[in-house]
Amino acid sequence: MAVLQGWRAARVTPLGELHTPPRMTAALLRLTVQVVLVASLWHGLYAATGTTAGLTKDQAVTYAVLAVLATRIRELDQYAGRDTVLQHMHFGTIIYWYLRPLPPQRYYALRALGEQLYGLVWVLAGYVICLAAGVVEPPKSAAVAGVFAVSAFLGQWVLYYVMLAIDQLCFWTLRNGAAMLILIFAQNLLSGVYAPLWFFPDWFITMSGFLPFQATLSVPLSLYVGRIELSDAGPQLAVQAAWVVALALLTRLLWRRAARRVISQGG
Amino acid sequence: MSTKALRVVWRITRLNFRAQLEYRSEFLMMIAIGAIWQVSVIVFATVLLTRFSGMGGWDSSDVLLIPATRMLAHGLFVLFLGRVHGLARHIQEGVIDTYLVRPMPVHRQLQLSFFPTNAIGDLTVAAGLMAGALSRSDLDWTATRITYLIVCVLGGMLLEAALFTVVACASLRYPAADYWGRWLEELLGTFGSYPLNVLPKAVGGFLTFGLPLAFVAYFPAAVLTGHDTAVPYWLAAVSPLLGAAAYLGSRLLWRWSLGHYTGVNG
Repeated sequence: MAVLQGWRAARVTPLGELHTPPRMTAALLRLTVQVVLVASLWHGLYAATGTTAGLTKDQAVTYAVLAVLATRIRELDQYAGRDTVLQHMHFGTIIYWYLRPLPPQRYYALRALGEQLYGLVWVLAGYVICLAAGVVEPPKSAAVAGVFAVSAFLGQWVLYYVMLAIDQLCFWTLRNGAAMLILIFAQNLLSGVYAPLWFFPDWFITMSGFLPFQATLSVPLSLYVGRIELSDAGPQLAVQAAWVVALALLTRLLWRRAARRVISQGG
Repeated sequence: MSTKALRVVWRITRLNFRAQLEYRSEFLMMIAIGAIWQVSVIVFATVLLTRFSGMGGWDSSDVLLIPATRMLAHGLFVLFLGRVHGLARHIQEGVIDTYLVRPMPVHRQLQLSFFPTNAIGDLTVAAGLMAGALSRSDLDWTATRITYLIVCVLGGMLLEAALFTVVACASLRYPAADYWGRWLEELLGTFGSYPLNVLPKAVGGFLTFGLPLAFVAYFPAAVLTGHDTAVPYWLAAVSPLLGAAAYLGSRLLWRWSLGHYTGVNG
């Protein structure tokens, strides 16, 4: 029964996407153009330069293209489905999350799981095409691929908690559009979506080491391209796991406190 | 627009501004988000300029003129015409239907729907970057050059407005078209700030003739600094005029699209 319930909640977002082919076509076109543009930019930048910030041209291109593909995992248009926490808080419909037989935190987790699995299909398809076209390099060895898979999994787990914490903010602030934009921006900048963190100044790299964002993308991709050696992978994976635990505890506490703030029909 | 209409616009804008001030922390954070978003472009550009020796044959002081022009144009667009971006939300919530029965043009009502607080942050950072770019520039800033730069900023604003107006026209028919608006914003932010000759010719061609992003800041900056581009000099030089023409065209398209808007009830 619980499995059936879980399956139904998890498939909401993928089903919504599959029933809107124009949105999927748009996503495909957007992803293709973005990959071509990003790969072209980094090829162009490296045209007159050798290894920079410890990254060769192929490593930098691979990193940048994989970062573009990875953003697809959580880039679904939830807003069109009117099922974001922000919208529910705005329209007062968040109360329905608390009236269902399924606890809100589990519903949220299942929805996110469905989204991330759906996004993963896109990423894998994009990765295979880019690999076949020679846009990205394959991992150096099976061990690197294995460690990358573990790190990417942990990274997605951390990302889930980061996005959840951003959504949970809605329970405390009446107008939180700006706060959410700032946090999403921080996530993109500090996880290395805009540019690999290795290109940034030392103080920036040190600062990002104290934050959870780099664990979501920078660490797995650095392992993949070989910027972090296999011998250094252990501590990095441990840090990612530590962020999973810390953020799990924090968001659990926030769910509990958020429940006390939800009111129905004016209280 | 008549004097009476201008007075109404001014009163509504003042009210909108006061409404934004109601939530003080949100107001300040909206300014911050505008600034932070633009700082990200500066950070990225600075990182690339530090790590790589110039871009596409442009030295760093010349490159800085591109993001400075684009940001100023973008900030002005956000301030004056930016509400056209995100129209799908108004359509989805049925607000556009109420605009249609009021005695004011729908486009104007849309632009007056709220005060864009983030534009304050956008423009502050953009003005700072422009001041930095001009102080580092070796060019002789004659009155002609300064006038041309101002006209280019305005042309860039109109070109960006034209692009988003076209997306808004599509939103009137297909609200999901808003998705393209977000992509457009991303493309303008990412690729509108660098010399496009760093990209392969086909890609540069797409960003010139497919999506006329090059006319916002790259071509004006190339004309000012004397760099060659993939298009004839005269075409690069008339970038501001293209912006104005594109905006006029987009407003005609808007009028036509609005005439064919049917709303959720048919």
